[in-house]
Amino acid sequence: MWAINLRIIGVVLGTLALYTLIANKIPQVESEVPHALTLGANVTPEQLTNAGDQLYHGAGGCTACHGLGTRAPNLLTDEKGAGPIGARCGKREAGKDCKAYIYESLTNPRAFVVTGYEPIMPEMGRILSQQQIWALVAFLESNGGTVDVTASDIPAASAASGAGAAAPGAAGAPGIAGGSTDPMTMIRGAGCTACHKISGEGGAIGPDLTHVGSRLSANLIRESILLPDAKTAKGFEKFKGVMPKTFGHQFTAEQLEALVQFLAAHK
Amino acid sequence: MADGMLLQAVADTANAYRDFPVIGSRAAVWIAAEIHLMFAAFVLGVPIFAVVAEAIGIFGKDQRYDRLSKEFTRLLLIAYSATAIWGAVFVFLLSTLYPKFWAYLTAIFGPSMWVYVSIFFFESFTLYLYYYGWDRWKYGRAKIVHWCLGILLNVWGTTVMFIADSWLTYMMTPPRDITPETSPASIKIWHAIMNHTWMPINIHRLIGNVVFGGAIVGAYASYRFLAARTDEERAHYDWMGYVGNFIAMSALIVLPFAGYWLGREIYQYDQSMGITMMGGFMSWLWVIQAFLIAVLFLTGNYYLWIGMGRIPGAERYRPYTKWLLVVLVLGALVWGTPHTMIADSRELAAMGGSHHPLLGALGVMSAKNTAVNLMILATFLSFLLYRRANIRPVVPWAKTGTRIQAGMFIIAAAIVLFFGVRGYFVEAIVRIGYSVYQVGAVLACIVFVTLIDVLMARGAQSLGAIQWGKMPPRSQYALFILAVTFTWLMGLMGFARSGIRQHWHVWQVMQDTSQYAATPALGYAAIMISICVLIFLSLVGFIFWLGGLAEKSTFVPSTVEAPHVGH
Repeated sequence: MWAINLRIIGVVLGTLALYTLIANKIPQVESEVPHALTLGANVTPEQLTNAGDQLYHGAGGCTACHGLGTRAPNLLTDEKGAGPIGARCGKREAGKDCKAYIYESLTNPRAFVVTGYEPIMPEMGRILSQQQIWALVAFLESNGGTVDVTASDIPAASAASGAGAAAPGAAGAPGIAGGSTDPMTMIRGAGCTACHKISGEGGAIGPDLTHVGSRLSANLIRESILLPDAKTAKGFEKFKGVMPKTFGHQFTAEQLEALVQFLAAHK
Repeated sequence: MADGMLLQAVADTANAYRDFPVIGSRAAVWIAAEIHLMFAAFVLGVPIFAVVAEAIGIFGKDQRYDRLSKEFTRLLLIAYSATAIWGAVFVFLLSTLYPKFWAYLTAIFGPSMWVYVSIFFFESFTLYLYYYGWDRWKYGRAKIVHWCLGILLNVWGTTVMFIADSWLTYMMTPPRDITPETSPASIKIWHAIMNHTWMPINIHRLIGNVVFGGAIVGAYASYRFLAARTDEERAHYDWMGYVGNFIAMSALIVLPFAGYWLGREIYQYDQSMGITMMGGFMSWLWVIQAFLIAVLFLTGNYYLWIGMGRIPGAERYRPYTKWLLVVLVLGALVWGTPHTMIADSRELAAMGGSHHPLLGALGVMSAKNTAVNLMILATFLSFLLYRRANIRPVVPWAKTGTRIQAGMFIIAAAIVLFFGVRGYFVEAIVRIGYSVYQVGAVLACIVFVTLIDVLMARGAQSLGAIQWGKMPPRSQYALFILAVTFTWLMGLMGFARSGIRQHWHVWQVMQDTSQYAATPALGYAAIMISICVLIFLSLVGFIFWLGGLAEKSTFVPSTVEAPHVGH
């Protein structure tokens, strides 16, 4: 019986040792914790770029998608002949310079989705601090472009970080698009047209809003903006969860009502 | 928001955590939670098939199954105590080492914890009634009442598991309206319970527990087989080992579908969490998982093929086994092919791109889904050949039936291959939908081929009784490998589920600011899993030994006519 017991122990230990060995032979990747950055008023572009480099390749988790060439655009290398991100960022969105575009891509990634890719980028404002986000902006600018992030950007952005979506230059203004109540300005500012089409403008990831007033009451439109997953439009079930649930925090009450009434009138 | 959160977290860290000597608080909680879960899976999985075995005994009038069920339940009694002890250790460690997090959880889930304890109390006493009433309520209506006690035991057990699942799934996928600023006292308990992954985890664990319980019972039977002193005892435990393996492998075939559902819910809840799991720092974990599942398929089939040596007439099917082996090995190789792995620029340069130039095409989901579905079909065919080994159908349509069965296998394999190849030429969103057709074809094949086989076996001519007990010892060691692998796999998947939260106690709501906040790499996790498995199996070995002391032999030789029960 002792021989049998020893053989059983041998089989168990041998199997455990094999699995442990294999798991230790493959590349070891640890998920790091993003450490808080303390950047003084005299922070240099080099310091920002270095901090961003560490975040990009570490706790920021950016390399899980960017650089593989399938899930998200390459940032540090050429993307379809347009060069690395620093070289092409200023030409992506009309009216947005490189800094504003990268900041928007990090804090409100669905505002502009590059053609050919799914809107899968997480809102980094939920994960990283404003200082860390600005360090990432500086690092990405440095890849093919010129770093123009300065210490003055960081506190200004922090003041408007409640929503994490305001573009640089709009610091301090409440709501989206500088608090404008013009519906189309709000729709563009909130990035709705990245997914929804309205009056011939926009994408096809979400339902067409051109005649939304004929399908939904004002109450349902309001609910769809504030709680986008409460009801899913038929045919769009696979995109459930894509629409941000943060608009209730981002729009002012006045903006929200103006937008709801505008859409409800679109019959 | 994130700035404030970090500052608050730093300020709170001093009072939020205590450390555990030598191994640290993370390792202490990891070991206690993991071993508690392993015992819990065993005591929740075994009652499910104990009650099914008892039903077969009652309604099929085969007392062997009744004895088998009682033997399962005897193992439960001691395992229950171990589950409760490790549960208490886990709670004490969590509440003393992570007091702030524990206070947060209890503020939301306190009432459900009280219900949990009450139901555990009822569950324990139902088990005592079920086991100790076995011989007293053995005949007639009393036996049916006794069987109903078994069902009640499962109801309590499943409810307890569902409650505990709500706590851990809340940590993974808290409802999106809950933020770091939300006071836990203001969160409605039902709102917290009904989170994105609660039901997928419930179902996944329910099936997983059956797989795990079957594997551990198989290991118990193999231990008793190897230690048996008489042929009759050996025959009984050979049969019991076969039943345990059959249960484990049958439930394993269904488990990936529940896993897909869980994965889909994780992606729907938060794309970044899904990407962390499948393509981020955890991407290598799935290569290890593929290797473990390959071991399970190969070992499970190997056990069946050896088992055919004790079945008269099985020699007719022996030539097929080498082809089944080829399908299984090729399938395992494809499934284990890495694809979109997290890699640094040096590694990408060494590979010549983001994917390996030759193997990259085999690493995508189209190839992997095709491979795993063909492996499932091959394993099902092994079971079918085993089942038919010692019979010759006598129904007039036997040849036609066999041809229809063969046709179904060919059609299912063709559908799997067709959608596998077509998947390379369509968009990702369309390709994901193809897995449903592949799985549907395989499940339909399993259901209809089994149905035809059952009908065809009616009145079939026997080529001789299965020679239970005539198994070489290596087959029993295969059952041990299965049990170890299932247990290790459970630990690995637990690490995946828990690890995707990364440095958050509650995802994006409550940050882990302790010194152990970083999620460790797979190598460290593997060492922890192996330690947990070793402790668990050592304790289970002790329980098996106690089981042997309590009752020397419970076998009923298959030649003995079973008395009527449940009349």
